[in-house]
Amino acid sequence: MISIKPATKTASFLFKGTLLVFASASLFAQGRAGRAGPPPSPQAIAPMDMTGYWVAVVVEDWRYRMLPPINITKVVAGRGGGQLGVPINAEARKVAAAWDPAKDEAAGEQCRSYGAANIMRMPGRVHITWQDDQTLKLETDAGTQTRLFHFGAPQGQGGDWQGVSQASWDTIPGGRGGGQMSGALKVVTNKLKPGYLLRNGIPYSANATVTEYYDRIDEPSGNTYLVITTTVDDPMYLTQPYLTATHFKKQADASGWNPTPCAAR
Amino acid sequence: MRTLTTGYLLILIVSMSAKVFGQGAPVVEGTGVDISGSWSHGGHQDAGYQTAAGALVDYGGIPMNEAGRLYALAWDASRQTLRTEQCAGYTVPYAFYSPGNYRYWEERDPYTQQLVAIHMYFQTSEVNRTIWMDGRPHPPAWAAHTFAGFSTGQWKGNVLNITTTHLKHGYVRGNGASQSDEAIVNESVIRHGDRLTYFGETIDPVWFDGPFTKTVINLRNVIDPTAWLYACEDGEEILARAETKVPQYLWGQHPYLREYADKYKVPLLGTLGGAETTQPEFMAKLKDAAATNAAAMAETVPVKGAPQQYNHETGAEPNDGEIHILPVQGNVYMLVGDGGNIAVQVGEEGAFVVDTGAGKLSDKVLAAIRTLTPRPIQFIVNTSLHSAHTGGNARLSAGGKDPSIQGSFFAGQAPREVTGFFVNVGESATLIAQNNVMIRMQDAKAPADMVPPDTYLSGRRRKWHNGEGVDMFYEPYASTDGDTIVHFRGSEVIATGDIFDMLHYPFIDFKSGGSVQGEIEALNNLLDKTVYKHDEDGGTMIIPGHGRLSDEYDLGEYRQMVSIIADRIQAAIKSGANLDQVKAARLTADYDTRFGAVSGPWTTDMFVEAVYTSLKQNTRIQSPGAR
Repeated sequence: MISIKPATKTASFLFKGTLLVFASASLFAQGRAGRAGPPPSPQAIAPMDMTGYWVAVVVEDWRYRMLPPINITKVVAGRGGGQLGVPINAEARKVAAAWDPAKDEAAGEQCRSYGAANIMRMPGRVHITWQDDQTLKLETDAGTQTRLFHFGAPQGQGGDWQGVSQASWDTIPGGRGGGQMSGALKVVTNKLKPGYLLRNGIPYSANATVTEYYDRIDEPSGNTYLVITTTVDDPMYLTQPYLTATHFKKQADASGWNPTPCAAR
Repeated sequence: MRTLTTGYLLILIVSMSAKVFGQGAPVVEGTGVDISGSWSHGGHQDAGYQTAAGALVDYGGIPMNEAGRLYALAWDASRQTLRTEQCAGYTVPYAFYSPGNYRYWEERDPYTQQLVAIHMYFQTSEVNRTIWMDGRPHPPAWAAHTFAGFSTGQWKGNVLNITTTHLKHGYVRGNGASQSDEAIVNESVIRHGDRLTYFGETIDPVWFDGPFTKTVINLRNVIDPTAWLYACEDGEEILARAETKVPQYLWGQHPYLREYADKYKVPLLGTLGGAETTQPEFMAKLKDAAATNAAAMAETVPVKGAPQQYNHETGAEPNDGEIHILPVQGNVYMLVGDGGNIAVQVGEEGAFVVDTGAGKLSDKVLAAIRTLTPRPIQFIVNTSLHSAHTGGNARLSAGGKDPSIQGSFFAGQAPREVTGFFVNVGESATLIAQNNVMIRMQDAKAPADMVPPDTYLSGRRRKWHNGEGVDMFYEPYASTDGDTIVHFRGSEVIATGDIFDMLHYPFIDFKSGGSVQGEIEALNNLLDKTVYKHDEDGGTMIIPGHGRLSDEYDLGEYRQMVSIIADRIQAAIKSGANLDQVKAARLTADYDTRFGAVSGPWTTDMFVEAVYTSLKQNTRIQSPGAR
């Protein structure tokens, strides 16, 4: 060591110091995750608490969500070019123009607007719980639907209104070097029974994929919100991914929880 | 020794690394993600609701209270042709609804690389916005407001949380639905890949009865857009319209009340907004338009017999026993804390002071001025006779000096016992006011050392002082018959006195010669002297008689308010209403939550009575100077 030239000595010193820093980082990190045993469950590592009752705050697309649906052929020009802003293709427009809620009722398909691609857009409340430590359960009072967000390999065959949802935590480190994680819940849903993107019969197909990010926002005002960013990809009916964001406000309890059956009109 | 030193340093480094890595840092310490770059409006929701869009009387989903709804119902789109409206900027969250481009970039400390601020630029209205990330406090309540407001932020993981205060009045939808200048906006910017989800929560005690929340999706621009500018210059749009005319719809007479409702088959109740319209339960009410029609029509006019509303915000006029100094611009400062606002201009000569406050904290006012200049106060101008502006006359004058008249012929005038003035000439600051102020204060037996001896009669008084022109303009029959506004022409600051009051309706002191006609004329005269710097922000700064520092846009809004209320009361008089009926009609209901008062020296009822009386009589009482 004594024979090393000063410049090299400095380099060596810094190198060792750096090594030690990383070693210490590794050691500290192991304090949390280095123990033997099964990996922690999704519930255990959840970066946010989504459980509880949430009420939809209906602001975006207000008139389309709150009012009884109108066939797009009767929609006055100016309502998003007659398609309400949804980037549908000609085939979808044809299907939507033929929408008849009476037919849906007769076919027992009143829930076509309550599928995974639109259910979070319905005015109502949701109740979120952990069904088990691998599965989040989201229930809606509007249409009394249940969605299961399973972490890990997809489960179920799908083919129903809510399809198959695969969940994951989309996280980033909170503090330097692995502090508390924060981030969103990512849910990818497919294998859906064909349904409606809006209550007026604008369709999505069985090939649609719904990708959602759930972010919890705690405001200085004391209010807590769940913001859901949704992308619907549907090669059959959409010319581009359909993007919306929807938000719910946290409730202290189940006030207002009012399960109602699906309604086609 | 070397080994020891090396070992010591290594231990230190390890120790430090443990400190850095081992804190189990809470989420708020996250450094966040990088959102730098350009973004544009995306998503498919709210088609047709971009900025400057929105049909009249389409407020569904906006949690407006009675005042907010009535403000919007009175809003005529032609109001945007007024000069102060043509280039008005966009506030958040409205700016996010625009179809233009946005750019974010970071400002980092060059030595520590700590994040100091995130800057933002909106193409639409060219809003330059800074989100301070260094933990600095927000400005005091008496500081000026801007369209961008004052924002502080912090990262919570992938979410940038922003709190914005000091906003101006702005739209939340392009149809008059508005947030007030007392709104606070909490925003969250969430990045998921090449998409940003924006979530805004606007809390407005003036015009909302619940938080207004809304989301917007932005998409990352892969190629830098070429469109970044938003050229706007105001001009003459309605040539024949009188300056005093502010377009409005009288409540109950909106010609387009049902246009949107009928066109889109929306029950009228659903178009009128309110917190309940955001709730799922509201769907049930929308099923039967006929059943809700009566309730809807009741919402289109002020609720009769409802308790009078008032502004709860008092922070802009602190009452903490201290004098607070706010730099305005150039040589001018604003002092708050002793009743009315005090303007102080400093330079190589003695201080030039406009108004002296209520006189309860005069020693502290003097001490504050001494921190701004070592020179004594030389001139004091009173904008009116009102005690909130003249209360400190004697003490501040005594604490000053006017060397410009020492040794002049004034020094040889008859003594105070004869004239009331000219004692120890130049040994105190010279008090200046319009002549009626002097006469009225003398009539009221005010102590001689409080009465301005140096007066002028009409038009304009002017001085070159502290390196700039100082204009004093007489505004006859506005708040009183002796109002003066003071324009520091180099600093580009105007002190208005009670003609412009950001806390209250204008103090139209009818008994002292004030009138609403003169008030509107004075406000228009003020607007003739102002120039905005950029899109109705900054430029000429205005120190109101009370309340926060303002600029042309604030003044323009105030002028609109006074003109609108006067027109309503005039229409009521025309229809035969007496004063009690006018008061019962609550013709100020849209502004009461911002400027109203139910107690104190200047209540809403007093204001309405002053407007009614001056319109009804259509004469001004004879000023003492004319006797």
